[in-house]
Amino acid sequence: MSRFLAFLVSLLVALPVLTLPAAAQSVVTTDNVRAELLSEVSQVKPGEPFWVALRETMKPHWHTYWKNPGDAGQPTDITWKLPTGVTADPIVWPTPTKIDVGGVINYGFEGDVLLLVKITPPANLAGQTLALAADANWLVCSDVCIPEEGKFNLTLPVGTAVTPADSATRTLFDTARRQVPTDSPWPARFGVAKSGDPFLVVDAKGLKPETIRDVYFFPAEWGAVANMAKQTARVTAEGIRIPLKKGDAKAATPQQIAGTLQLLEKTGDGEHRQAFDITAPFDSKLVADASPITAADDTGEALSFWTALGFALLGGLILNLMPCVFPVLAMKAASFVRLSGQARGEIRRDGIAYTAGVLVSFALMAGAVLAIRASVGEVSWGFQFQSPVFSLLVAYLFFVVGLNLSGVFEVSGRLAGLGQGLAGRSGIAGSFFTGVLAVVVATPCTAPFMAAALGFALSQPAPQTIAVLLAMGLGLALPYLALTFTPALQRMMPRPGVWMDRLRQFLAFPMYASAVWMIWVLTQQTGADGVLYALGGMILIAFAIWLLRFATAASPALWLRRGIAAVAVLLAFGAAWKLEDQPAAASASSGPSAGVNFEGWERFSRARLDEAVASRKPVFVDFTAAWCITCLVNERVALETADTRRAFERTGTVKLKGDWTNRDPEITALLKELGRAGVPLYLYWPAGAERPTILPQILTEASMVATLTSSHQAQR
Amino acid sequence: MSNVVVHRRSLLLASAAFSLAPMAARAASDLGKAAPPFVATDSNGKSWSLATLRGKVVVLETTNHECPYVGKHYRSGNMQAQQREAAAEGVVWLTVASSAPGKQGYVTAAQANEIVATHHAAPAAVLLDPESRIAHDYGATVTPHMYIVDASGVLVYKGGIDSIATADRDDIPRAKQYVRAALTELQAGKPITDASTRPYGCNLKYPGSA
Repeated sequence: MSRFLAFLVSLLVALPVLTLPAAAQSVVTTDNVRAELLSEVSQVKPGEPFWVALRETMKPHWHTYWKNPGDAGQPTDITWKLPTGVTADPIVWPTPTKIDVGGVINYGFEGDVLLLVKITPPANLAGQTLALAADANWLVCSDVCIPEEGKFNLTLPVGTAVTPADSATRTLFDTARRQVPTDSPWPARFGVAKSGDPFLVVDAKGLKPETIRDVYFFPAEWGAVANMAKQTARVTAEGIRIPLKKGDAKAATPQQIAGTLQLLEKTGDGEHRQAFDITAPFDSKLVADASPITAADDTGEALSFWTALGFALLGGLILNLMPCVFPVLAMKAASFVRLSGQARGEIRRDGIAYTAGVLVSFALMAGAVLAIRASVGEVSWGFQFQSPVFSLLVAYLFFVVGLNLSGVFEVSGRLAGLGQGLAGRSGIAGSFFTGVLAVVVATPCTAPFMAAALGFALSQPAPQTIAVLLAMGLGLALPYLALTFTPALQRMMPRPGVWMDRLRQFLAFPMYASAVWMIWVLTQQTGADGVLYALGGMILIAFAIWLLRFATAASPALWLRRGIAAVAVLLAFGAAWKLEDQPAAASASSGPSAGVNFEGWERFSRARLDEAVASRKPVFVDFTAAWCITCLVNERVALETADTRRAFERTGTVKLKGDWTNRDPEITALLKELGRAGVPLYLYWPAGAERPTILPQILTEASMVATLTSSHQAQR
Repeated sequence: MSNVVVHRRSLLLASAAFSLAPMAARAASDLGKAAPPFVATDSNGKSWSLATLRGKVVVLETTNHECPYVGKHYRSGNMQAQQREAAAEGVVWLTVASSAPGKQGYVTAAQANEIVATHHAAPAAVLLDPESRIAHDYGATVTPHMYIVDASGVLVYKGGIDSIATADRDDIPRAKQYVRAALTELQAGKPITDASTRPYGCNLKYPGSA
């Protein structure tokens, strides 16, 4: 009987909704956007806030705008018409994407976006229905922009309890909430560099730089920060540093810079985009660092820019002494001396053209380096030196260059043939291309050196990269240029001879020393095992080179040797794979770290886990780490929310948390058992279950509550 | 060493990348500094050079007649009114059509004159800037993007035409007209209160942009 009454009541409540045309008006379709006003609840309770959303579904390549639209555009605006006492909060914006329209940077949304708005009906809400009316304006752009608008009406029944909307709608809201930036777990500050440009510092200690990329700061409003400037964020174990460009606002230094910090974190499962709202107050004590992080930074001594330029020039000069460059130089010089005064004028022009050719080649090389870097990503390369794999590869590079200089192997001289035809050329153009090709032709000798220089240049900001490479080019061209201006200098030149080979062989030793230093850096990063892998790898590489030196005609034996050499090299590089699994230097003292919060959780141990599972209670295990950003976000948006806590409590779930910051071996063993590469990892044993359910790496409050309660209900 | 080949290939790649990314180098003009010089031809074939306008206040207005934000200020008559006021004060108002050929807002000289006639606009001239050079040198990102150069050739204002960043003409009466206010202050010899404001409008249609 009571059931029948309830049915009647609900029918009465539902009836007005069915008769209203409201539903049809909650969708507005324009040429480029389908906009819909959605509610997360299908019945409202007076005094109980609920969420609605304006959903915009754009045509491909069209976008609407974020609260700060960037260099052009306009954010979506909603004007509400609500019954007395009902309030609507401002739009809660999801993290935008950066949309580059011919160099003009826009912040907005492509595809599908939900703009969330919290509606609060008063406790004394009168009437059986709540009518929400909204006028929305939005600008939608592709290469052209169109302002559009829509009027939306949504009428919801009012009852004594909140009724959630259908699951598809709830999923939409759940997903949308996941796109909203969370409050930053780390404090942030900003300083101002000498140039007047601000730089942002996020004090996120203990991050793993090699797992983070695509860091970008979206300023919340126009003015303090230029939207258009490229950002090259740097992630280190100390935190995140983002040099910004001063905006156009006339005001002096602002009190604070607010915005959204976005990054991509690589976890065991893949990459996850995370975003945090940041408010950075001005900190006058912050000092901008002029020199970028280099390998030297790790040992506390930075290679200054001018020193680098000096070394590059010197390096270029040394290139002239290489056996495949010097004899040519000496021969040319000798011929200049014999020429008459008039011809000398021509020689000077020749020298200048040659220098220009060399410099253009180096400039092109710098361009190539920059292009490669730009295509790889915006994240500063400095962080690579934090990675043991990178240290290992650099150590290998130094070692191989050393072997080459020692004469263990020669780089094929096939390219030198290209230069043969050049000798006969004359005229300024000829000299220019001689310069260009000198760079190419000298490659058999200079390639190892160039590889090292390019490697260094790659770790520098763009202007430094260009400057360093140009300095090297100038060094290479300088002796020839000097000779064309003062042929008398020729007398001071040493004769080509065996000393050239000796010099080259001598230069191998600084290279070996550099390799030793890189291995030392590696041990700082990985512990003593690093030495074993690095030196073992070097032996394998040396072995491979030795095998390949028997330059006989093609024969089965040659192919066999090549095969073995390839295997040896692969094994050497396989060492890099092993390094990733090695504990970091900081982990010498294994144990829980300060970064993980255990409040409300028991510490994980295998024994406690087995005991809890055996007692047939539901068990939830959270494997986390201080450096795991995705873990942190999951905690904030899904694990430590009021609803989830209530669900944990109500179901009597045993909550265990494991701290993998320092790669606790017990947890590592369990991860391996489950075939997982790392954290976050969430395991759930429904009451009485023997095997755990592995939950996704991205949690939402709704999914957590559903997981915990559904099995609980099933139990009853 | 095979990586030589890689280098040479990347050289091509790099030069291609550089020719495709002219925006990377776009310089923003600085307030209080000499305004970037330009020489351009107007829709009547007359040549204009910023240098020869020394001694006069110059207003630059980037335009794209198909942009709704430009439309807001022309359909309401706001832009034309300010152009006439400026002319009466001896200010040289130059409308700059910076859309690249094939992009929205690109105009030929004849089309530019036709638009001026339809809107009863009153700029001193419509400069044709199909390579977006002026826009580029001034760092313009939107249409309309407004600049004021004082009599000594110094950039004294950059930003939006007014304070309400919408495409709705009903907002004009409520908005602070930044350019008008700046010109008034400039004529009175006062410092400009809002010398750098948020520009708003459509993306400026640079060559090569999507």
